[in-house]
Amino acid sequence: MTSPNPGGSIAAVPCEGADELVILDVDTGDHLGSISVGPDPVHATTAAGSTFVATMGDRAVSAVTPEGAVERIETGVLGPSHFATAGGNLFVSCSAGDSLSVIDPVDRRLLGRIPVGAEPHEVATGPAETALYVGSRREGRVDVVSVPDRSVVDSIDIGPNARVQGVTVGPDGDRGYAVDQRGTRVVAFETTPDHSVQDTAAVGADPYDLVVTDRRVHVPGRDAGTVHAFDRELGSVTVHDGFNRPVDLLAADDSLWVLDAGRAGLVSLTGRFVDTPAPGLAASSAGDRLLLSHYDDSLVSLVSPTEGVVWVSEVPARPFGAVLV
Amino acid sequence: MTDDTDPTPTRRALLRAAAGTGAVGLGSTAGCVNVITPVDRAERTAVQGNVGYLVGVPWLADNRDDVVVLDARNRERFRAERIYGARHVPLDRVTQQHETGRGLAPDTDTIATAFADRGLDPTDDVVVYGASIGSRVTRVVFALEAVGHEGAVRVLNGGFDPWTGRVGTGPAGSTGSTAYEPQPNEELWCTRGWLAEHVGSFNADGPALIDCRSPEAYLGAAGSAALNPENDRHGHLPGALNVHWVGNVAGRQLTAPGDLVQMYEGEGELDRDEPTVVYGDKNVNPTSTWLTLRAVGFEDVRLYDGGFAEWANVDTDRGRHPVETATNVVIETDGELGGEDSSGDFSCTG
Repeated sequence: MTSPNPGGSIAAVPCEGADELVILDVDTGDHLGSISVGPDPVHATTAAGSTFVATMGDRAVSAVTPEGAVERIETGVLGPSHFATAGGNLFVSCSAGDSLSVIDPVDRRLLGRIPVGAEPHEVATGPAETALYVGSRREGRVDVVSVPDRSVVDSIDIGPNARVQGVTVGPDGDRGYAVDQRGTRVVAFETTPDHSVQDTAAVGADPYDLVVTDRRVHVPGRDAGTVHAFDRELGSVTVHDGFNRPVDLLAADDSLWVLDAGRAGLVSLTGRFVDTPAPGLAASSAGDRLLLSHYDDSLVSLVSPTEGVVWVSEVPARPFGAVLV
Repeated sequence: MTDDTDPTPTRRALLRAAAGTGAVGLGSTAGCVNVITPVDRAERTAVQGNVGYLVGVPWLADNRDDVVVLDARNRERFRAERIYGARHVPLDRVTQQHETGRGLAPDTDTIATAFADRGLDPTDDVVVYGASIGSRVTRVVFALEAVGHEGAVRVLNGGFDPWTGRVGTGPAGSTGSTAYEPQPNEELWCTRGWLAEHVGSFNADGPALIDCRSPEAYLGAAGSAALNPENDRHGHLPGALNVHWVGNVAGRQLTAPGDLVQMYEGEGELDRDEPTVVYGDKNVNPTSTWLTLRAVGFEDVRLYDGGFAEWANVDTDRGRHPVETATNVVIETDGELGGEDSSGDFSCTG
């Protein structure tokens, strides 16, 4: 008897509405199985041979071990959301509280909790994995966490009433960026030495995430239907418009493609268009193809910028942030 | 000629007559059918069913000579008018805390001294009253239980207002002091350290946990006047259920026991046989829930005496003391606070 998909890529797709992790064959879209992982799974990642799933509706994350068992790792705080790996450990923001939980991915146990600004969301990893940058949706700041010390060493004030959603560090490692959803702006800060705020710029309404490439900082404005593209100093802005509800950008086939939660299609910043089976809310790169989670339509698809839709697979309710294994 | 019979029925008859209801028997009810007399109010405080702690005015009237009455109101109210012979208990004396190394806990030595200064003997049967059945009253009850009071401890349902018996006024006379050796009843409270060890298990596979503050404080609602500005953080302990303590009170009396059971066991899905921890911002208001749950039959109810004010401001290792904000397990309450002014039971934000 042979196992399905021997040696091939698989996608582990958290299905928030079904409390399951669905396993798909990336080549064919075949449904290889489902794993019950706990309430409201939203994001998945891999470390030390295990697949970890953030179950936002619980005070725990799930781990699918190399042996195929499912273990629960208590975080103690509700809303595990986004993962980051650094220094050999796994960090997960507990978005309903004020903690970043630290997990040993080998032993799959909680090592501790780092107190951070309330309602942490995205976690960005700094150069050499020595620091993490954790945005607070409630306290308008980005906390700088020392990975070796597992403690907050500095806090970057993003502004009065700021609601920090997306946080990332640029490819050069010397600058970080944070999206202030409430203030409709993006903020650039130094990662060394003093974490000072360097620049700010206005973006389209309801920004959420951002993508930084070698040369540009891209911020989709979901309500505005725009993507603002800046240089790394947040000057020289180009506004791409005509989107319905842009949520993310992904690189494929030498272009940046805008994931649009309001349109069944991908549009590149250079004007190319590819049909998709439904609007998408989350996506992962799969080589030159993109794996799309169609959250509202309970579908997952693989889309090629050159070949169009490769396959579509029905999955349980509300697929979200997949990981390719 | 002296009258050796029980004066209570006579007194009630006079009060009825004074309020006009005596005319009912004479066929002159016009305009009087909705009159509520002082006696009506007193009789409405009578406690029906299997409810612990509470007694009504009729019970106290019948047993006045056998119990020590403690007045939990503020000093001004006590001096203005009180149940005759009552002894005043200053709130600040029964809320004292000490640091245990694992967090704050009731300072039972200081609390016992407060009772000793009021001439209380550990074996005295006690009735506590306030302006209503608010948290000042329940804090005094908690304090008595915390020091291991051996006599019976009861609470006057409805507070002072329905009292129709003899009243006193002016400064209280000296009652002399007693030796009151506390026998700390440590299973009635818990510390920050104990709670930190149970983070992640509340209202799941660990103890039940009730946040007794207002929903705004529980949720850490930005800009809300309900937030304690002295707290570094806002929100609640992870997993806590919110039931605002005012839901325990209907006017001056305890909410109907059936409604309380529905609120805590029905909507809140709490199990009366399991340990339940209550907390507020400090250590007065949550004692209302502490007493209420015990009164309706919860067996193991513990007060987090340090309260959210301690938890939110802990100096070190806040990772062990996380706070949640984006949860909303709120049991709506429709409690109505009696007590008339802000200097009575409800002045203390606890």
